Amino acid sequence: MSIVLRIILVVACVLTCAYTLRKIRKSQMQIEDSLYWILISFGLVIVSIFPELVEKFSELCGVGAPVNFVFLVMIFLLLLKVFLMSLKMSQMEDKMKKLVQRLTIQKYEDIKEDTESEQKVDLEACQEEWK
Amino acid sequence: MTKEHERDEKNMKTLIIIPAYNEAENIKRVVDNLIKDYPQYDYIVVNDGSRDDTKKICRENHYNLLDCPVNLGLAGAVQTGFVYAYENGYEAALQFDGDGQHQPQFIADMLPELMEADIVIGSRFVTESKPKSLRMLGSNVIQVCIKLTTGVKITDPTSGMRLFNRKMMEAFAYNMNYGPEPDTISYLMRCGAKVKEVQVEMLERVAGESYLNLKRSIMYMLRMCVSILLIQRFRKKWK
Repeated sequence: MSIVLRIILVVACVLTCAYTLRKIRKSQMQIEDSLYWILISFGLVIVSIFPELVEKFSELCGVGAPVNFVFLVMIFLLLLKVFLMSLKMSQMEDKMKKLVQRLTIQKYEDIKEDTESEQKVDLEACQEEWK
Repeated sequence: MTKEHERDEKNMKTLIIIPAYNEAENIKRVVDNLIKDYPQYDYIVVNDGSRDDTKKICRENHYNLLDCPVNLGLAGAVQTGFVYAYENGYEAALQFDGDGQHQPQFIADMLPELMEADIVIGSRFVTESKPKSLRMLGSNVIQVCIKLTTGVKITDPTSGMRLFNRKMMEAFAYNMNYGPEPDTISYLMRCGAKVKEVQVEMLERVAGESYLNLKRSIMYMLRMCVSILLIQRFRKKWK
């Protein structure tokens, strides 16, 4: 890896970390969700400082240039993240659906109860008049 | 004799679930018909966040209305009805279109079959033959998929008029991936649910717009085929 690429990577990682932490400070992100980005940034910083690590692995896998190995890992991590997000979205949609259904039924029962108690009041009023 | 023994299909507590999305032009006709001529069945309209006057019409006429504040899609709306039916002790729940395609006089034919089956499908093609059209080609493809995976012939898998017993109601009400569609039916059949078909007639949609256009139909077919042939076999067996 060229020295320029390594510097760019380190700067990008520091910025990512800073941005993520800022989001936590402003209460716009949960810590659980920020861990992924912070850990990836740390990983990339380590790779940029010690490129020998990647060179070993790329040799092992038969990937020509070490930088390609870095890209490969990054693509994999991104796909993984998209998959996990899709999973989470499914579950969130399911939860939302259940909430809406609960709310809908609750509202129906409230209205039914209201009309029933109104009718009861009417009935009682009639009985009063009869007396 | 206890009350349980006297119970037969004639006094089975039945709920008609009518999902309605932008059905302002049809809903009054459909529901008034049910109230007037079929008072032996309870009904509930599930307004799935319609943007037209469906809700207003239902409120003005004091229909039984479950009013979803957001659009959940057909599966979500019907599921709302199942939750309500299950929690209110209904013994049979019928999925019934809000556009007037389905005719309530056939419910009486379907109910007795529920004594021996878990799901009764109101089918157009038990005794009648299937016409040859693009839409029926789709129906045939799904029929073949179900036949391949379950060995059972369902003549009208896409029929939206389906009757369910309590066991099915519970399954549909509380689980993920239980949309009221042919793929769920095929999955349940694999799990041992009994499905029967009863001959019914259906009308053409009188007013309003059909949900299925060409693009949606193709997506639907793709989803059904992949789901029935590939995905459903990997699902955990239901009970």
